[in-house]
Amino acid sequence: MDKQGNDNIDSHGPSSIKADCKTSTKRSCLPLDLGVCLCVWGIYYLCATGSRNSMADDKDVLRDVWFGRIPTCFILNQDEVTEREAEPYYLLLPRVSYLTLVTDKVKKHFHKVVRTDDVEEMWLEYEGTPLKWHYPIGVLFDLHASNTVLPWSITVHFKNFPDRDLLHCPSNSVIEAHFMSSLKEADALKHKSQVVNDMQKKDHKQLWMGLQNDKFDQFWAMNRKLMEYPTEEGGFRYIPFRIYQTMSDRPFIQKLFRPVSPEGNMHTLGDLLKEMCPAALPHDGEQKRYQVVIHGIEPLLETPLQWLSEHLSHPDNFLHICVTPVPSD
Amino acid sequence: MCLPNMSAPCCVAEMSGCALDEENFRRCCRLLLQQSEQLRDGWSWEAVQGSEEGYLKKTALRSVVVDSSPAWDHEGSASDSEPHTSCRSWSDQQGQEEKQAGLVLSVDADSIKGGIEDEEDGEEDEDDGVCVVSEGSSQMLQYEYHILHSCSYSTPVLYFRAFTQDGRSLSLEEVWSSVHPNFRLRLQNSPLNTITLQEHPLLGQPFFMLHPCRTEEFMRPVLQAAQDQHRSVNYVLSWLSVVGPVVGLDVPLKYATQLHPAASLSSTEPD
Repeated sequence: MDKQGNDNIDSHGPSSIKADCKTSTKRSCLPLDLGVCLCVWGIYYLCATGSRNSMADDKDVLRDVWFGRIPTCFILNQDEVTEREAEPYYLLLPRVSYLTLVTDKVKKHFHKVVRTDDVEEMWLEYEGTPLKWHYPIGVLFDLHASNTVLPWSITVHFKNFPDRDLLHCPSNSVIEAHFMSSLKEADALKHKSQVVNDMQKKDHKQLWMGLQNDKFDQFWAMNRKLMEYPTEEGGFRYIPFRIYQTMSDRPFIQKLFRPVSPEGNMHTLGDLLKEMCPAALPHDGEQKRYQVVIHGIEPLLETPLQWLSEHLSHPDNFLHICVTPVPSD
Repeated sequence: MCLPNMSAPCCVAEMSGCALDEENFRRCCRLLLQQSEQLRDGWSWEAVQGSEEGYLKKTALRSVVVDSSPAWDHEGSASDSEPHTSCRSWSDQQGQEEKQAGLVLSVDADSIKGGIEDEEDGEEDEDDGVCVVSEGSSQMLQYEYHILHSCSYSTPVLYFRAFTQDGRSLSLEEVWSSVHPNFRLRLQNSPLNTITLQEHPLLGQPFFMLHPCRTEEFMRPVLQAAQDQHRSVNYVLSWLSVVGPVVGLDVPLKYATQLHPAASLSSTEPD
């Protein structure tokens, strides 16, 4: 299982991925503990492995999240001047990574056909929306494209960088800085920065290298320290979360929220939404209008937030929650 | 570190671990705004629709010498070196810059303009003799400063962006090059942090940010001293007087000396 997951985008030629894409458009349901029924959307890895134990343990959830893939087709923007026709380029994108970290090959592919003096910083767009590289790939997909037919079709640009919408990303060191900054912020919320500050520089490097090179074990050997908490407290100080909505001008909601109520009850995903984003919850007798999606699935609203934070957080240690309208058809 | 005397009565910062919660942040901002109104230095409160949240905002014209060539090349030399992590110490930055000798830039320290009336000044200010202008000429830039609250760090955070007169936004390199070299020297090894390009958490647009993760560290002594001497202190104002000047945002001393009877009467001491 591990091997298959690690067998990442680099070793797949475009043609082999084309064939695989078909299988991943399937929806599948698999039971996990805590009664969370994970309806998997576009988690390529889950679809491809087929057989699995029904008694999956929590560690498997971490793997499933880590090895989630989205089959993607990159197409050059029509306005770019090319010297010859630009073939589309196919990749399996890791949900937990960042676009600019895994699209070097896309850049090289299209550089071959674009007039060199026209090439500026590459940026990506989906149906008119510039894609923010500093959000995890899975978040971008769930937020903008969760109801699309796979493969996800992303348009590649080399001109007219939208300065007012996107952050520049001139090198991987900028991604690393962004990732470490998020991770530190998450630990400020969880442990008053104590865990991340106690780590050495090489430990920080291990977290980043684990993500950059798609090494699950390397990453989690260190990340598990960030997931610890005193048993008597029942959870982190605050849950690092962000709620994204397409229908809002505001990029996301991020506030303080504790995993345990003053009475000692575990707060659930439903409790969080009720306080932060009540519109996302279905009202009595009303048809469901919004879906609440994490890693392509809709976890039960009764799921304890602390469990979600430990198992469905992105490598940056934030729980990224997407609230999108239910498709009308 | 040179802090203006903060004996002017302002709101009382909560001393529980030097944390500034959102409610206190808003209270400090309100008091800062009252003073700003009297001093007419242009701060305003921008509310987020349908919530209590918001941020302090100020725009200013600033005459800056920006070198057209980047101070360093991210794509090339920086790719193998240390990343621009948000919590990197100032001295790393310094080191990197010293490698790029000859690209020192100057900011006219007194060139902050509250309005456009001074713009016609015309006369090119002589260099103050400390730094060397290599290439590029002085130009007027439009700066926009926002002060937000970070709930994660329980501190204020300074966001800003800068535009040229034809509306082009400044790159990170250009912003770095507009930081006064004197500041780079003076701030070496201080717990002030580096500037990075980040998404504005309320507007979703790219802004430069001075990272807040060590703010508590340099604010603690300020707050501690105030508490020991039973003085009240406006956390946001004291903080701004430290971080603002790095990016050309000076806090007039009048904030500290101006009489403010209303606040004076209502000021209470922590107990």
